[in-house]
Amino acid sequence: MTTSSPESDRTASPSEAMTERRVAGFHLQEYALVIVVILLFVAGAILKPDSFPTWDNVRNMLTQASVVGVLAIGMTFVIATAGIDLSVGSMVAAAGMFGGILVDPEGSTLLFIAGAIFFATLLGSVNAIAIAYGRVVPFIATLAMFSIARGIALLLNDKLPVGLLDLNGGSFGDPGAFSLLWFGTGRIFGIPVSVYVFLGIVIAGWVVLNRTRYGRFVVAVGGNREAARIAGVPVRRTILSVYVLSGFLAGISAVLLCARLGSASPVSGNLYELDAIGAVVIGGTSLAGGRATIGGTFLGVLTFALIFSLMTQMDLSTEVQQVVKGAIVLGAVLLQRPEARL
Amino acid sequence: MAPRLEVRSLVKEYPGVRALEGVDFEVQPGEVHCLLGPNGAGKSTLIKCVSGVVEPTAGEILLDGEPLPVGDPSASLRRGVATIYQELDLVEELTVAQSVFLAHEPRRGPFLDLDRMRGDAAKLLARLGHERIDPRTKIKELRPAARQVVSIARALSHDVRLLIMDEPSAILDDGEIETLFEVVRRLAADGVAVIYISHRLDEIRRIGDRVTVLSDGRSVATGLPAETPTEQLVELMVGRAVEQLYPERRNGAGTEDVMLEVRNLRGLPMVRGVSLQVRAGEVVGLGGLVGSGRTELLRLIYGLDTPDEGEVLVGGRRLPPGKAGRAIAAGLGLAPEDRKSQGLLLEWSQTKNVSLADLGRFQRGLLNVRAERAAVREHLSRLKTVPADGERVVRELSGGNQQKVVLARWLLHHCRVLLLDEPTRGVDVATKAELYRVIADLAAAGVAVLVVSSELGELIGICDRILVMREGALVFEVDGDRASERELLQHAVAPIESADLIEEVR
Repeated sequence: MTTSSPESDRTASPSEAMTERRVAGFHLQEYALVIVVILLFVAGAILKPDSFPTWDNVRNMLTQASVVGVLAIGMTFVIATAGIDLSVGSMVAAAGMFGGILVDPEGSTLLFIAGAIFFATLLGSVNAIAIAYGRVVPFIATLAMFSIARGIALLLNDKLPVGLLDLNGGSFGDPGAFSLLWFGTGRIFGIPVSVYVFLGIVIAGWVVLNRTRYGRFVVAVGGNREAARIAGVPVRRTILSVYVLSGFLAGISAVLLCARLGSASPVSGNLYELDAIGAVVIGGTSLAGGRATIGGTFLGVLTFALIFSLMTQMDLSTEVQQVVKGAIVLGAVLLQRPEARL
Repeated sequence: MAPRLEVRSLVKEYPGVRALEGVDFEVQPGEVHCLLGPNGAGKSTLIKCVSGVVEPTAGEILLDGEPLPVGDPSASLRRGVATIYQELDLVEELTVAQSVFLAHEPRRGPFLDLDRMRGDAAKLLARLGHERIDPRTKIKELRPAARQVVSIARALSHDVRLLIMDEPSAILDDGEIETLFEVVRRLAADGVAVIYISHRLDEIRRIGDRVTVLSDGRSVATGLPAETPTEQLVELMVGRAVEQLYPERRNGAGTEDVMLEVRNLRGLPMVRGVSLQVRAGEVVGLGGLVGSGRTELLRLIYGLDTPDEGEVLVGGRRLPPGKAGRAIAAGLGLAPEDRKSQGLLLEWSQTKNVSLADLGRFQRGLLNVRAERAAVREHLSRLKTVPADGERVVRELSGGNQQKVVLARWLLHHCRVLLLDEPTRGVDVATKAELYRVIADLAAAGVAVLVVSSELGELIGICDRILVMREGALVFEVDGDRASERELLQHAVAPIESADLIEEVR
């Protein structure tokens, strides 16, 4: 027994009263993250005044962040149910490769997109069935898929990437609206299309999580599965759905990534799961389930993007960046311990 | 001779809250001292101070005349202060023997002496009259009552001089309580001092020597004789008299419409063919010993478990077996045995907890959060939930108010059949009276209520009809106004009296 709260129906003064917001602390955490994002930007502007605070760099950062950001929204739903999806990075690669061979040598942008999303959703569904109906622990089920999806990605074109420039007339050129490369490099009012896609998914994710019955069910299942069941929440279907959703969003992420690179690569998406989980945890979603914040995840994605852009500009090697990335995730999880929370 | 325990003007402050504002009392060796007070009076904080889990802000705690080190649970334990907490803190995956000797395992050289551990655990369990519990069983396989017994055995495994028991009877049925009392009396006869906390006033006279009453963090009466009239104790506790614990009995309660019908329901091994009917507007009680299959029966009716055989009808329509969602849609509601682990999302606000079963009605495309809050607030205030602020986190509420949140959920859902499993466990007497009134009001509004309770007085007080369950089957039925505790208990206990087992140990 380590609980140290007094017997609690004593009428504490209103200022002492803990409402859900305060105890969950995520509003506070979100404010703190806004400050972190601003401070990181200021630090970048001071350290690299010529290259960091430029429109080009910001645009670049946001474009790169969108790919992982889309995964992080799906991951927020998964983690809200007290689950985890370690396979998102591999699914991104497999989805891109599947779409790629569909349109190779010829095909349409639409076919590529549909193929990539279909395949990632299929892989996510395998996770979902294994976890919801096979009762495999999410960690193990998605770790297996981490390997399976990567293997499939490598098998699909004999370990070779698939070029997608044919979908844009053979070169990067000037992508026409709704061509594949347009999703990666096109702009509307100077802002990359992929950023719109990411923001659209953030907003949709927020609405679904906070303003629908389904979203409430997702968090309830993570908070107390037995209590949720007794209150009539369809627990199994809810768990099933989040892994399908995570696969679906991995498909969208794959489209954004391939559109930016002009090719699908079987080795892409490496360690994206760590970036996505890291962003979610930094944002304040509880790894134990029952507490989730899309706004926090969004800010977590921005925080990660700023840190890595800054480190790249400081000429720190990717190896160093990898160490830093892991350390940040570990630190964020440590801060999540109940004793460390407000 | 110095008293075994002496507490002098003990104060404990938490940020913003004074949990204890000056408590004095003493316990003599061989005495069973009852500690009484409504939820939130500071009882739990007080015993946490004595057992060293919490460090008091001011005041003194003396054990046999010497100061007890504060804020050091293991030191308290070494001095012979053992505590059995309200929320059992056993590890589910450990065996009974491992749990009893956790952190002080008997050893032979560097190795665990497993034979001695099992043997000693068996002896301790036998001393408690529960030699039927196998020391090799895992905790998770035990029912709450048996876990309680293991906790007591663990306390006994230390050389105990002062045993603190925080509501040990809350999860025991009347038969087991007598067994527990027998053990407590024997410990006292050995010179052990016992602090006994309970909400059940009738227990004080049965087991206690003296009583100390806490209210709002103060000891308002200390060392009263156990024979003090109940009304006087209640008045001290709540600062006013509780006019009436049970609501007026209505004549001819219930209509002719059978709302809930259970036909030959079987879910082995715990439920062996049960048929019953509950009419609209009727409160039916389900008595019996813990482990007689009452909770399992409710789970089968509600569709949390799938029955082997039999059917459940609500308003004449058959429910698909094992589908809780469909049962809820048909108008069933369940307030489970363990509110904290099964009834509530503790980190959620009251509002979200109440609306969870009925979110559909607030969703027109998107959830209308404002309508949700307003509807929930209405039900919370109807139940006099404190605080009425729907945004307060449920973890912070007292047991009674948490139970009201669960009930508010089913009120909001307009349920037609309400299944209540131990609805007043761990609830103080004033809140109990409120809950009884809510149950009566629901029945008056036409809800069919099926109540499981181990408190026989409660069943007699609130039920129109009482069924007794024994070993998975219904064995007795009586009208509430004709029932007696003695008769109910007789039917509840198995023909082989467990009291014999205690004789053998002697």
